[in-house]
Amino acid sequence: MENNNPTQKEVLLKVEHLEQFFKFGKFVNRAVNDVNFEIYKGEVFGLVGESGCGKTTTGRSIIRLYNITGGSVYFRGHRICAGTRRYKERISQLKAELKARVNELKEQLKANPDETERINSEIATLKSEYVEKIAEQKKEIKSAKFDHKNCNKEYAKRQVALVNEKYASLFEKATEEEKEELEGQYKEELRLAKKDSITNKIQMIFQDPIASLNPRMTVREIISEGLIIRGIKDKAYIEEQVYRVLDMVGLVHEHADRYPHEFSGGQRQRIGIARAIILNPEFIIADEPISALDVSIQAQVINLLNEIRERLGLTILFIAHDLSVVKYFSDRIAVMYYGKIVELSTSDQIFAHPLHPYTKSLFSAIPLPDPHLEKARKRITYNPIAAHDYRTDLPSMREVAPGHFVYCNNEEFARYQEELNK
Amino acid sequence: MEKKLEVNNLRISFRTPGGKVQAVRNISFDLYKGETLAIVGESGSGKSVTNRAIIGISAGNAIIESGEIIYDGQDLLKITEEDFHKIRGDKIAMIFQDPMSSLNPIMRVGKQLTEAMILKNKVGRKNAKKTFNHMLSLLNKHMNAECDSAVQTANTEACKKFDTFCINSLKLENAYNERVRVSHELKQELEEFSFLVSKHQKVNTSKLIKSIKETVKKVVDESFVKPSSETEELNSLLDICSSEASKSVEEISENLKKLIELTLKLINSALEAEKINFFTLGYYALDNSLDGIYDMSVEELNKMTRKYLDDNFMIGFINVGADALQHSHNESLAAKNELINVLSEVEVFFKEPNFNKKEASAVVKPLFAKVYAAIDRLEIVKNNVEYTFVSSMNNVLNKYYFALKNNPAEEKRFAKQSAKRDALIAKGKNPDWKVVPASLIDLQMVCDEICGIIRKLKANYEVQIEKDHEFNKQEKMVALVDFFKEQASQVVYKVNKKIAKIKALKLLEEVGIPEPLIRYRQYPFEFSGGMRQRIVIAIALAANPDILICDEPTTALDVTIQSQILELINKLKVERNLSVIFITHDLGVVANMADRIAVMYAGKIVEYGTDDDIFYDPRHPYTWALLSSMPDLDTEEKLEAIPGTPPNMIFPPKGDAFAARNKHALQIDFEEEPPLFEVSESHKAATWLLHPSAPKVEAPKIVTERIARMKKRLEEENNGK
Repeated sequence: MENNNPTQKEVLLKVEHLEQFFKFGKFVNRAVNDVNFEIYKGEVFGLVGESGCGKTTTGRSIIRLYNITGGSVYFRGHRICAGTRRYKERISQLKAELKARVNELKEQLKANPDETERINSEIATLKSEYVEKIAEQKKEIKSAKFDHKNCNKEYAKRQVALVNEKYASLFEKATEEEKEELEGQYKEELRLAKKDSITNKIQMIFQDPIASLNPRMTVREIISEGLIIRGIKDKAYIEEQVYRVLDMVGLVHEHADRYPHEFSGGQRQRIGIARAIILNPEFIIADEPISALDVSIQAQVINLLNEIRERLGLTILFIAHDLSVVKYFSDRIAVMYYGKIVELSTSDQIFAHPLHPYTKSLFSAIPLPDPHLEKARKRITYNPIAAHDYRTDLPSMREVAPGHFVYCNNEEFARYQEELNK
Repeated sequence: MEKKLEVNNLRISFRTPGGKVQAVRNISFDLYKGETLAIVGESGSGKSVTNRAIIGISAGNAIIESGEIIYDGQDLLKITEEDFHKIRGDKIAMIFQDPMSSLNPIMRVGKQLTEAMILKNKVGRKNAKKTFNHMLSLLNKHMNAECDSAVQTANTEACKKFDTFCINSLKLENAYNERVRVSHELKQELEEFSFLVSKHQKVNTSKLIKSIKETVKKVVDESFVKPSSETEELNSLLDICSSEASKSVEEISENLKKLIELTLKLINSALEAEKINFFTLGYYALDNSLDGIYDMSVEELNKMTRKYLDDNFMIGFINVGADALQHSHNESLAAKNELINVLSEVEVFFKEPNFNKKEASAVVKPLFAKVYAAIDRLEIVKNNVEYTFVSSMNNVLNKYYFALKNNPAEEKRFAKQSAKRDALIAKGKNPDWKVVPASLIDLQMVCDEICGIIRKLKANYEVQIEKDHEFNKQEKMVALVDFFKEQASQVVYKVNKKIAKIKALKLLEEVGIPEPLIRYRQYPFEFSGGMRQRIVIAIALAANPDILICDEPTTALDVTIQSQILELINKLKVERNLSVIFITHDLGVVANMADRIAVMYAGKIVEYGTDDDIFYDPRHPYTWALLSSMPDLDTEEKLEAIPGTPPNMIFPPKGDAFAARNKHALQIDFEEEPPLFEVSESHKAATWLLHPSAPKVEAPKIVTERIARMKKRLEEENNGK
């Protein structure tokens, strides 16, 4: 938690200009609007904000439950989701630009008809120039579409290549008898590699443990479903894995043959966690995993997540609205407000020096278990129209202090820095 | 402080296919006027069940095994559904957890708000009238005792007069209130008009003049404002303006401007004026005509009418009434003195369970009549013990009679079944059914319960006899007159649709909903979560309740909205002097709200104290566990989760229910249930750790450190001041 130097850390997930719009007839709901962040390997990244601000949508977009509208998401350096809105917009922009400039030249042509040749040639070069630019954008769209559709296939191909490489060297060394044995292993691994996908490495824990478990499946079926879809047929192996994760989340082996309704809320959430970790993921999206649970059970689940994270070296995107829990659990925190990240920093820094007025208002609403302090607490209200003046000076994400980003414009940037230096 | 609600030894269980779930096991608490009591616990600890029993909406399979919930001299567990209609919503209101499911999706919000107001007003007026008449006739009866017929007729006359002038004065006051409302409306209209004119918008002049005319006529002619030179000028201006308006003038004339100015001045002076004492005026109006009295200043008028009332009626009435109160009090005390001996005899009779139904009813029937007669019914604050004695006795006796019949039958059945099973086993078969054990009721325990109730009543009587010298008849009479006034105001206060709408709009504004006129016509789905919860609160407050029960009102909301709603509830509580029961599982929320906190676990209250007691000096291991499982902003260390899950309440564990999950559990915790140990006067906890011979156990580090931190911060703050 202490090491805040981002340069030394490996970036596991990178979100660039993520946009997720929903259409309701003419009206477009910009649920997530131009969100950028990076998550480093091994950390817990907290995403907080009031309900309806787009935290859950962000999580679901990353795991490809929605087809994103624009931007891209990189996992371990490979693009796993891509949207095309940005490029399309750029194309229409280019077209409009071209039209305007051509019109301008044509006006000139009318004014002085002697220079017809020169202006015509100019128009031609302009057109070809723009066609090239548009083609570039179209290429981008194509590649984005390709990546979005085929990221898993590409990953499988790479895995197959890896297996081939591994076995090629093995086959060279092996004797005839060993070769036969290797052949079987090779075939099995090849089959699995073909079915492998990169999005397997990202798993999700859902908010409501009751609604997210199929009531007609036993716990064993629920947990092992992922393995089966992955193509594993070895029953003994599946059983071993199921027992392994059950042990890990603190359930007993006998629980495997029960149905979800036989468990309490905390135990159901444990089943959800077990299902998420059986495929050995590297990254887990925990979407409000504790907000449907009782206080005493919440602590159990947080402790369990912490334990598992340390044991498996997991990276977690922790989405929640209970700020004290987020502060306790996360290394870095991003605060969202109406589809935008307004502040991002390490958890200690952001709680010690909240800069954005929305962050301040959000933190002032945290209930504290201290009657005297609580009765004196004053809530700050946030009104975006009153708090900011963005008419001329447009805001963007800026680094106020190392690792501390705030969504602000020039004037606010200077003010925030002053505030920090105090 | 006045006790609003008393819950005693409440036990509730639920019939389920798996067996009887004991949801609430013997809990008792009091709720005082104007305070917030928070009930904290995990889901399934019985907090919602308790409060649903208070408001009389327990689930169909609930069995109330014992206990009493006393509100206003009534045991809410024993009254009929019809009687409950008068209390539910009207006196005790509830805010539910999920705002969406507690609103009707196909009714506009406004309708849902006004519906209850209109219905409750009807019932309330009827009840108030009944109480008023009943009390007055009682008073009259006691006045007439021990005096000759001439005085009797005079007394009766006085009571009648009191009745008429009470109602009369309130009618006057209501008319006055109506005029105030009209003036407010006109003021609003005038301001709007000026605003539109200043913005060069199109305005309807003739409509304005018409409404000014009407209102001024109402206000001035009905003697709300003294007629003066100004009003005459106003009237003349009105005539000029109305003739001008018909000519459709483009510009706003000077005359109109002057008119508006004048009207505003008039209305403002009328609204700011001192209020007339209508109670005294009402009596004055009985004998004299009201012509010309408004020429006096309000102060003079009030003085004059008060003197008139006092000289002619009130002093005499209060003296006679006070004597009547003394008479009633003495009578009831004498009856009580007598009854104490009778009660002792009856207690001896009920000591051993060797009586049958016939014998018991022979003893009990005259006793009930006597107890009933001994109640001093002219006391305004009802004595709960006296009023509920008969119903509690009947309840326990019925249990006894049932046991008398049931126990032998059960025993017989058990013997028969076990014999059958034994016979089968002897034959070498293995029967696949079990013998259900006989559920016998301990007669001795029931008898003890009966004796307990009798002893309670006796103790109550003894206290009253001891405190006899504190009885001040004059004071009591004044309070009684105030009570009459209050009841009369309820009788006269009539709510129709129009008034209900105005009230509802005011209420919506009060709970912080902007643009109430638009919101009034919307459906629940058009509101966001926080706004919906505000509507639910407004509906709960519509009938002006005494007690507000909030069942996890913020659990479905996020942090910012949550703190807004909590602030709102706190504000309303202070404004309306409400008593609030606040149910939650989040201790963080409680710190802001509660005056006192009860921590519940497995159907029992395990710790009970003020907010300072619970947060600065928690004693029960379960409270420690709750506090330590919740991180705050300074928490770094590993959280101490409570291991395991709450016990199955079909088979409640022997001893302390929390023992199995408690790492500080002692051997005795598994064997015997701990009683409530007293830590301080306000602070009690049910744990064996507080027993003098228990080993010293410290609270978990995470809790002690947090308390140390909080205390340090508090000290710093105090030093800073």
